[in-house]
Amino acid sequence: MSEDLDARLRDALRPVAPRSELTEALIARLGGNQNLNAGHEPGGRHDGKDAAPAIAAPVSRVPPTRRLQRPVWWLPLGLAASLLLAVGIQGAHEREQREKGMEARRQVFEALRVTNQKLDLVARAVREESKS
Amino acid sequence: MKDSAPPTLDEWLIRAGAGDPAGLAALVHAHQRAVYSLALRMLGTREAAEDLAQEVFMELSSKLGSIESNAHLSFWLRRVTTHRAIDQLRRRSRFEMTSLEAQEDLLASPEEFQDPVLQRSLRTLLATLSPPARAVLLLRYQEDLDPVDIAKTLDMSVNTVKSHLKRSLDTLRQGLPGAAPDLREMRSDE
Repeated sequence: MSEDLDARLRDALRPVAPRSELTEALIARLGGNQNLNAGHEPGGRHDGKDAAPAIAAPVSRVPPTRRLQRPVWWLPLGLAASLLLAVGIQGAHEREQREKGMEARRQVFEALRVTNQKLDLVARAVREESKS
Repeated sequence: MKDSAPPTLDEWLIRAGAGDPAGLAALVHAHQRAVYSLALRMLGTREAAEDLAQEVFMELSSKLGSIESNAHLSFWLRRVTTHRAIDQLRRRSRFEMTSLEAQEDLLASPEEFQDPVLQRSLRTLLATLSPPARAVLLLRYQEDLDPVDIAKTLDMSVNTVKSHLKRSLDTLRQGLPGAAPDLREMRSDE
């Protein structure tokens, strides 16, 4: 009976075929992957460590010098613009401070003038009282 | 005449490793049934099985350099498929695992396999087994591996494999008609 059950289980658990679409999709995907790998290391066998960079290979083919040259034209312009902006902001700040200083000085003079008038009035009143 | 003989799977493996897409296609055709069936019977749905099969073969394409022979390839595919499936099942809830019973194409087609009682019992058993026990049963009866090879594939001891198999078969026999006489017969055989 045990052998019979073994045979029946093997029969029931025979591998089943996947849908043909899966096979086609698999081969298409693997073909693409394989071509990238082959381009990275032509004709040679490779292990898992080599395979991952193969996908990134097109990116690394961009010449590094071009990547470095690209910022050169705009970098001085950017720096100059930043400098101008900083100077402009600084100038505006200084002008504002100067205007505030002038206003404060004007207010101090006004206060001194008013105080002086009051003192004159007080002195005059004291003199008149001492005469009488 | 000798040159016209079709390449063996070992030769296709070498070609695939050298970047020949035909080599990889041959390997897919040779092994996809086993990988897909293991994934289907472990995970329970066609969609999950197809996803896992694709994942396994994509990983294979980057590991071809470390595969030494077709036998090694079979071992590697079984091992990766079962381990990935067990990991997926452990992340699922128990509710999701019962989908196995509902999956139509889980077992061999009715034209090939006409044993509805065993079909039903086997579906129920597969749905209730723990992921490692399910993998043991499938490797034993779908892939026809002996307990030593199953132990190597699943990273478990041979005794654990035998224990899983015994428990699974006992449970299965209990669900089949004439369970008691069959068990007695089995014991007298031993």
